[in-house]
Amino acid sequence: MNKKIRIAIPNKGRLKKPAIETLGQAGIEILEENRAYVSKTSDPRFEAIFARANDIPVYIQYGAVDLGVTGHDLIQEREADVLELLDLEFGKCTLIVAVPEDSTINSIDEVPALARVATGFPNITRKFFEKTGKQVEVLEVSGTAELAPKLGLAQIIVDLTSTGETLKKNKLRIIGTILESTTRLACNKIAYRTFEKQINELLARMQGGSE
Amino acid sequence: MTAPVARIVTTRMPSAPEPIRLFYVNNVFRYSQSYLKREREFCQAGVELVGCNTPEADGEILALLISSLKEAGLREVRVDLGYASLLKDLMNAAGLDTQQKVSVQGLLACRDSVGLKKFMEQNGFPSNLRDAFLQLSRCRRLDEVSSISLSGSKYDKLNKQLGSLLELQEILADYKVDELVFFDFSLTKKIEYYTGIVFEASVPNLGLPLGGGGRYDNFIEKFGKLKLPATGFALEIGKLLQALTAQGSKIPESSKTKVIVASKFRDTAVKAVKTLRDSGVIASLEITGRSLEKTIEYAKLTETDYVVSAGSSLKSPVTVYDIKANVSRNVTLQTFLKELGGQR
Repeated sequence: MNKKIRIAIPNKGRLKKPAIETLGQAGIEILEENRAYVSKTSDPRFEAIFARANDIPVYIQYGAVDLGVTGHDLIQEREADVLELLDLEFGKCTLIVAVPEDSTINSIDEVPALARVATGFPNITRKFFEKTGKQVEVLEVSGTAELAPKLGLAQIIVDLTSTGETLKKNKLRIIGTILESTTRLACNKIAYRTFEKQINELLARMQGGSE
Repeated sequence: MTAPVARIVTTRMPSAPEPIRLFYVNNVFRYSQSYLKREREFCQAGVELVGCNTPEADGEILALLISSLKEAGLREVRVDLGYASLLKDLMNAAGLDTQQKVSVQGLLACRDSVGLKKFMEQNGFPSNLRDAFLQLSRCRRLDEVSSISLSGSKYDKLNKQLGSLLELQEILADYKVDELVFFDFSLTKKIEYYTGIVFEASVPNLGLPLGGGGRYDNFIEKFGKLKLPATGFALEIGKLLQALTAQGSKIPESSKTKVIVASKFRDTAVKAVKTLRDSGVIASLEITGRSLEKTIEYAKLTETDYVVSAGSSLKSPVTVYDIKANVSRNVTLQTFLKELGGQR
């Protein structure tokens, strides 16, 4: 089969640059304009697809692309049944539960029934609170969840943090941790079977680079 | 569908001679805890082979799976199989607690060999077991698996399981499908349920498995007193259609002919419709009292093939309007049916 192996890369955001660098070090350099959705690479067996990091887990699960660079948090949020072949160890972040600094809530246990939670991770959030036996109202926002308490939209947020800067700036305090995440090289389960040799070669090169 | 089949075997077929071979094609409803919009109803076709736990039974099921997919017209079919009991025994031999087992299964399922190596080092796996895990993750051929063995009599049961895949490979060779079956240690889903091999089928054109199955020797007893070993597989018809489309195969549409019967003589029309239906034609009666022209117009809009206009008796010829060709002719209903050929 002479089909190209399609590898999805985030088209923007904090994962994009390190993803392109890591692949470049492993011998897959992106040759075309950043604007293009599909780009040739320096390795003719691979083709790069630029997509939203959010969508990459689904693209991979359904085989629209064979490989992809995306966050473990996003794979979990989309419940994508994919292989996570390698922890690329960049894009480290934590999905946390936070409240305004002056809130009376000090722990997950103290979250009142029917509290409103704003988050870009509605699926993980629902499951988390369900597990703790808390009935909360999850409000899905697609960015800047940290704004929600200020506007009175929600008393609680579930959001990613890496340095804690944004939380501090918005006067928010962490009351619980849901998930630690890093960037992964993810792979479609069937594509791994089809392209096992090429993918293992790539993995070996990527590990060689990171060690 | 395995659960309903197990219930039927236990309650309705308690004295059926074994082995029992069953098949089904049915819509399956699956409740999903997920908040994502997942399909909860899909059509499954499957088989169960109950009352036998020989490698020959596993071989028969795997060979049947492959021939079913080939018969459906799929190319480059492959089956990958894991070994639930082997994995469980290996994890027990390594002395893992429940949480550690979950971690190991997760790492295997993700094929994260770097993570697996790290985990095993941090959790003090004995080196022989560590090597076995890593070797097994790399194995693809069944005979490669059976060449692995652990030294020490406490590993007798494990070694026996490792060796058993060679026999399975020989059985598959007799069916001439051994080249299509691969080992895959990452298949760790539902290993609490499966007691032997567990497998899934796929084709390179579709990113999702077409279906799968495995051996479940401890399941049927949950439905009653019968303790019966069993193995089987299920295929998702929707995925099969997607895979056929992806490889460029034309999916044949229903070849049944659609006919509308119109007649001023209701008894004749009812009789004609019945005759047509009995031969497998999709026939309907003109019941609105509209004109023949209007009926033909309606037939065009509803993608009907023919309009049959009958007189007072079916003994005399009827007028058959061929809607697509836009022609009409007079023939007897019997001749018309003969020309249509077998509809069943």
